[in-house]
Amino acid sequence: MTAWITGCLILLLKLGIVLVGLLLLAAYLVLAERKLLARLQIRLGPNRAGPLGLMQPLADAVKLLTKEDLAPAKADRLIFLLAPAVVAATALLIFAVVPFGQDWVIGGRRIPLVVADLNVGLLYALALSSIGVYGVALGGWSSNSKYALLGGIRGAAQMISYELSLGLALVPVVMLAGSFSLVEIVAAQSRYPFLLVQPLSFLIFFVSAVAETKRIPFDLPEAENELVAGYHTEYSGMRFGLFFLGEYVTMVVMGSLVAVFFLGGWRGPWLPPLVWFFLKVLGVVFFMIWMRGTLPRLRYDQLMHLGWKLLVPLALLNIVVTGAVLLLLRA
Amino acid sequence: MPTLRIDQREISVPQGTKVIEAAEKLGIMIPRFCYHPALGSLGACRMCAVKFMEGPVKGVEMSCMVEAADGMVVSTTDPEAMEFRRYVIEWLMLNHPHDCPICDAGGQCLLQDETVSGGHGLRRYQGLKRTFEDQYLGEFVQHEMNRCIHCWRCRRFYQEFAGYFDYGAMQIGNRMYFGRFAPGPLESPFAGNIIDLCPTGVLTDKPSRYKGRRWDLQRGPSLCLHCSLGCNLVGSARYREMIRVEARFHGAVNGYFICDRGRYGFAYANHPDRPRQARVGEEAAPLDQALKTAAQRLGQIRERYGPGAVAAWGSTRSSLETLGMLQWLCQDQGWRGPQFFPQASLARRVKAAVARLDTGMAVSLRDLENADFIVVAGADPVQEAPMLALALRQAARRGATVAVIDPRPVFLPLEYEHLPVSPGDIDLCLNLLSQAARSEEAATGKLEPDAARFYGLLTSTNLEDPLLQERLLALGRKLQDCLRPVIVCNTDMVRETTPARAADQARLLQADKGQAGLFYLLPGPNAYGAALLAGREEVDLLAAMEQGGVKALVVVENDPLGSCPDQERLLRALDNLELLVGLDYLPSATAARSQIFLPTTTVFEKEFSHFINQEGRLQQAVPLHQGGTPIIQVGQGSHPPRTFLDAIPGGEPRPGAGILADLAAALSGEPAPPTAGDLWDYLSGEHEGFSQLASLTASALGEGVHLLPAEAQEPAWSPEPGEKPPEPPAGQLELLLVDQTFGTEELGSYAAPLQKVEEEPHLLLHTDLAADLGLAPGEQVALLLPGGEVTVRLQTAQNMAPGVAIMPRHRRLHWQKTGDGPVWLPPENIKKLSEPL
Amino acid sequence: MEPRRNFLAAAWEGLGELVRGFATTFIHLFRRPITEAYPEYHRPLPERSRARIILTRDPDGDERCVACYLCSGVCPVSCISMQSSQREDGRRFASWFRINFARCIYCGLCEEACPTLAIQLTPHFETCQYDILTLVAEKEDLLVDHGGKNRDYNFYRHAGVTAVGGKGEHLQEAKPVNRRSNLP
Repeated sequence: MTAWITGCLILLLKLGIVLVGLLLLAAYLVLAERKLLARLQIRLGPNRAGPLGLMQPLADAVKLLTKEDLAPAKADRLIFLLAPAVVAATALLIFAVVPFGQDWVIGGRRIPLVVADLNVGLLYALALSSIGVYGVALGGWSSNSKYALLGGIRGAAQMISYELSLGLALVPVVMLAGSFSLVEIVAAQSRYPFLLVQPLSFLIFFVSAVAETKRIPFDLPEAENELVAGYHTEYSGMRFGLFFLGEYVTMVVMGSLVAVFFLGGWRGPWLPPLVWFFLKVLGVVFFMIWMRGTLPRLRYDQLMHLGWKLLVPLALLNIVVTGAVLLLLRA
Repeated sequence: MPTLRIDQREISVPQGTKVIEAAEKLGIMIPRFCYHPALGSLGACRMCAVKFMEGPVKGVEMSCMVEAADGMVVSTTDPEAMEFRRYVIEWLMLNHPHDCPICDAGGQCLLQDETVSGGHGLRRYQGLKRTFEDQYLGEFVQHEMNRCIHCWRCRRFYQEFAGYFDYGAMQIGNRMYFGRFAPGPLESPFAGNIIDLCPTGVLTDKPSRYKGRRWDLQRGPSLCLHCSLGCNLVGSARYREMIRVEARFHGAVNGYFICDRGRYGFAYANHPDRPRQARVGEEAAPLDQALKTAAQRLGQIRERYGPGAVAAWGSTRSSLETLGMLQWLCQDQGWRGPQFFPQASLARRVKAAVARLDTGMAVSLRDLENADFIVVAGADPVQEAPMLALALRQAARRGATVAVIDPRPVFLPLEYEHLPVSPGDIDLCLNLLSQAARSEEAATGKLEPDAARFYGLLTSTNLEDPLLQERLLALGRKLQDCLRPVIVCNTDMVRETTPARAADQARLLQADKGQAGLFYLLPGPNAYGAALLAGREEVDLLAAMEQGGVKALVVVENDPLGSCPDQERLLRALDNLELLVGLDYLPSATAARSQIFLPTTTVFEKEFSHFINQEGRLQQAVPLHQGGTPIIQVGQGSHPPRTFLDAIPGGEPRPGAGILADLAAALSGEPAPPTAGDLWDYLSGEHEGFSQLASLTASALGEGVHLLPAEAQEPAWSPEPGEKPPEPPAGQLELLLVDQTFGTEELGSYAAPLQKVEEEPHLLLHTDLAADLGLAPGEQVALLLPGGEVTVRLQTAQNMAPGVAIMPRHRRLHWQKTGDGPVWLPPENIKKLSEPL
Repeated sequence: MEPRRNFLAAAWEGLGELVRGFATTFIHLFRRPITEAYPEYHRPLPERSRARIILTRDPDGDERCVACYLCSGVCPVSCISMQSSQREDGRRFASWFRINFARCIYCGLCEEACPTLAIQLTPHFETCQYDILTLVAEKEDLLVDHGGKNRDYNFYRHAGVTAVGGKGEHLQEAKPVNRRSNLP
C-alpha cells in the first residue's frame, strides 16, 4: 500500500516537474528563437525586459493573459474555445512517453526518467500528433473567417500528408529496435545511434517533423503574408497563447523524438544522461531555428510534391532496403 | 435652329445662341471671364477663344461673340486655340498679385481655375505690377482692386442690369479702375451680386471675410425667407455657423441674383442670444422634459376649461411642415386657431389675394420680365421685395412701361411713372386706368357679358389732382397697345378691397387682350401656405384672449409682441393667460416671455422644409448642417474646448413640426401623429390647393412645384363693396406703416450685417405739409400715437401722396403703439423735439 | 524536348546550395549586430526629416501663418483645423490653430502646400503621450520664435496687400494708378 502511494507521489512529482519544465522550456524557446533569429539577421533581438531580455517570456505571458479574449460573433463558439486547448494538450501529452534520462535509483527505488513507458509508445506519439491536426483544422473552421478557414484546411492537408512519411520513417527504427517502446528504442542504441545506420530515415523523419510543427519552410497554414495569421487569425489573448505554446512544445517534443529515435536518446559519454538528452534536443531545436532563418517558405504544390512524391516513396524504399539488409544479416 | 458641330458632337440650338452657350449645352465649359448668361457677351477678356474649322467664320474667334450658324465646325481643343488661351491667361495674370492665400476668393476663383487649366504656372514677365488704391464700398463688399482682370462683369451688372450708377469703370486700358465715383458705400441693394459675379477676388464678401474656404463649407440648396418671393439660395455653413449665402439659379424665380437682404439676412441663425435650450419658467430643462411639462400643463388647462381654452398662434415664416402640423394639432385637440397672421385684416387681404390666383393668372418673376406694361399697386418693390425691382428693371429694359400707384416716394432703378395717391385711391386709379385703356371696346361690347357687366360697375370719380388724372389717362392710353400687361399688387398697406380689385382688373385685361398677369406680394415667405391653411373662417385670438376665453396660448415661431400693431392690448390679453408656450429660433420678446419655451431649428438645420412663395410655388430647403452653437461662440473666439462630448453643444433644438408632433403624442397618449409623408396626405385632404402634395415625387419637391389651382377659388368680378371704407376725418393724416429694405423684416432684423446698414427710424411727410407744420427734415419729432408717444427723425419727400404720414416699421422703433386698423392723426400730433443735429 | 537532367546530379547540386545557404546564415550569427539601441543612442536626423510640426515666424518676428486653409485642405487625415480671422492691423491670421498629432501621419503635405512657409515639419519625433488629449496641439504649442528652415522669406513682401506695407511698396510693384488723371 505504502509503495503504491509512494509510486503515485513520485509519478505526480515527475509529472509536475516535466510539465513545468516543458512549459518553461517552451517559453524560453520563444525567447531563444527570437534572439537567434535576430542574430542570424544581424539584429539584437529582445533586450528590454530584464537583463538581456530574459524576462521577455514573462512579459509576453502577462500580456497574453491580460489581453481581451475575443470570439467572432459568428464563430462556432464551443469549438472555437476548445481548439487551442487540443493543440497545446496533445503536444504536452506526447512527451509522456519520452525517456529523458537513465533510470535513477533513490533509496533503493528505481525511478525511470520517463513519465510512462508504454510498450506502444511510438504509436502513441504518432496518434497524438495526429490528434493535433484537429486543433488546427477545427480552430480554423470554427472562426468563421476565410483566412482562418484556408489556414485550417492547409494545416489539415499538410499534417495528414506528412503524418504518413513521419510514420513510415520510423518503421526501420522499429525494425532495428524490435520494439515500439521508446525506452527500448533508446536501449537498442546503446552501441551506436540509429542516425549512423538510418541517415535516410533520419532525414525523412526530421523534415516531416518540421512540417508537423508547421514551421518554416512548411508554415503554409499560418503564411502571414497570404492569410494574415492563418488558422489562428481570429484568436486573441491566452487562446492565441495556447496555439503559440503548442507550437513550441511540439518543437521540443519533436526534438526529443528525433533525439530518442536517431541520436541515441540520453546516451552519451562523460556527461550525465539528462544533460546529453537536453543537448541533443536543443541541437535539433537549434537546427529548426537556423532553418527558419535560412529557408524560404515552400509553395503549396512543392509542399505536396515533396511529401507524396519524394518522402513517402523514399521511406517505403528505405523500409524495403532495411528489411532486406536485416534479413540478410540475420540469415 | 442652326446645327453645328463642337468637338465632333452635333447640336441644334435656337437662332441667336452664342457658340459658348451651345458648347455649354453639350457640357463643354469653354473658359470665360466676361461672358455671363445674365449679362451677355462682351468680348473683353479674350479667354473663350476657340477655333472655327468650317462654316461662315474661320480661325480663332471668341466663342461668346459668334452666333451659332449652320455648318459650323468648332474645336475647343485645337492647339492654336489652346495656345491662344494660354497666352491670354498669362497676360491676364501679369499684374495679378501674389496673394491667393489671403484672398477669400481662393478656392472658388474662376481665375485660379483657368490659370491652372490654361497651363500657366510661372510668371515670366519681370516688370513691375500695376497697383490701385482700394475703396470702401460699404459693409457688404470688400474691394481689392490689384486683383482685377478687367472683365467688366461688376459694372455691367451694377449699371446695366441693376440700374444703379454710383459704381462703374474709370480710366482706360491697363489702368482701368472699377469703383465708386464718389466716396461712400454702394447704394444698390443688389450690390452683393457683384461678389458672386467677380471671377476673382476684387470684390469679396465682407461679412464672411476670412471665415473659411469654400471646400470646408457645408453647402446646400436653401431658400430665402426674407420676403415672399422665395428666391433660391445656396447656403454655406461651417463649424455650426452660417457663413454665407449665395444666389442659386432658378429660371422662374430669381434668375442668377438675389438682393442684399436675402444675402445677408441669414445671420439671424448665428445670433449670439439665439435660444438653444428649452426652458420651464426660469429654469433650463432638457427639451423632452420641457415638452412633457408643456403637455401636462396644457392637459390640465384643457381639463379645467375645455379644449377651446387653448389657442395656437403661428406665423408665415414657419415651414409648411410646421404650419400643417400646427393646423392638425388644433383640429386634433379641438384648440382654438391656429391664427397665422398678426392682424385679422391682414389675414383677410392675404386670403383674398391667394384665393384669386390660378394658373391662368399668376406670373412668375421671369414672366414679369417679359411683360410690356406693369402696374404696381400699393407696393414699393425695393423696400418690400427687392428682387421684384430687379425684374421690373429687366422688363423696362425690354421696353415695358412701369407704373407705380403708391403713396410712398417710390424709387425704382428704372424709368417708371409714379402716381403718388393715398391707399384709399388705389382702387380708383386702377378703375380709371382700366377705363382709359378700354373705353372703345366697352362701348362696342367686345367683352364677354360678365366682364362687360363688371366694367360697367366701375366707379369713375376723377382724382383730386388733375395732373395725376392726366398722367393716369395717358398711361391708360399706352396700355391700349400693350399685349402682355401685368398687375403687381401688395397685400400689406393697401385697403382690404384692393387685392381683389387688382385681380378683377387683371381678369378684365385678360378678357380684353387674351393675356394678362397677376402678381401679388404677400407678408412672409410662407404666407401663401398659411392663407390656404387658415381656411375661410376668421380667427381673432386677441379678442378671445381679452375676453378670457383663452387660458393657454401656444406661440409657434411667431413674435406677436413684435408684429402686433396694438401692443398694449396684446399685453393685456397675454396677462389673462395662465400658460404661454413658445416655440422659436429667434431671441424674440415673446420667446422671452414664454413660461415654457421649446427651441426650434432654422431653415438651415437638421431637416428638410418647404415653403410656398407668393405665386404658389412650393420649394424645398435642404438642411446644411445639424445645428448647434457655433464653435466660434463655444470657444469664444479661441480654440474649441479641449473636451470630448457625445452631444453637440446647443444642438437640442428640433424642427417645429417635430416638436409639435411630439407635443400631440404627449397630449393624446397616442404615439402616431402625422409626420413627413402622412402630413402631405393630411394637407392634400385639408385644402384643394394642396391636392397635388400627396402625389409629389422627391425630385419634383427638389425642383419646386407650382401648386396653383386651374381655377381660382374666388369667383371673378367681385361687385363693388356696398359699404364705402371710412372716409378720413377732414384735415387728418393717415398714418401708413410700411416696410423698409433693411430693418423691418423680422428675420433680417436679427442679422448683424443688416443691422449695420439699416436706416434710422424715420417719419416721412410731404415737403409742403412739413413746411406748413414748421418742421424741417432731419429734426427729431415726437409722434403721438393712440398707444403713446414715439420719437423719430423726420424726413420729407416731394413725390409722395399728400395727406399721409409714412412710418416704416423698424426694429428700433416702438411702432407697436399704433393700434389695429387705419390710424388717422391730426397734424398737431407731430411735434418738434429738437434742432437738427 | 529539354534533355532530362541527371537526377542525382541535381540533388547533389541542390544539397550544395542548401549547405551554402545554411553556412551563410550561420556566419551571420557571429557578426556584430548593426542595431542601434534607440533610447541610449539618438541618431542625428537630417533637417528635412518629417516629425513634429511647428508654426514659424517671418524675419520681422510676426506669425507667418495666414490661415489660408491649404494645409488643412491637403491633409489626408484631416488632423489640422483652424479658424482664420482678421487682426486689428488687417493681417489675416489664425485665431486658433489645432493639430491633432494623434491623427497626424507626418506625410509633410501640409508643409508642401504652405504658401508662406509657416508650417514646417521638424526632426523632433518623440511625441508619445499617455493621455491622447495631450497630443492635440493648439497654436501656442506649435508657434516657435524662429523661421525654421527658410528664415528669410516674408510672404507679405510679395503679396501686394496693404496689411503690410502700402500699395506699390511691395516687391516688383509700380506706384498706384491715379484714377483722377488720364496722364500716362
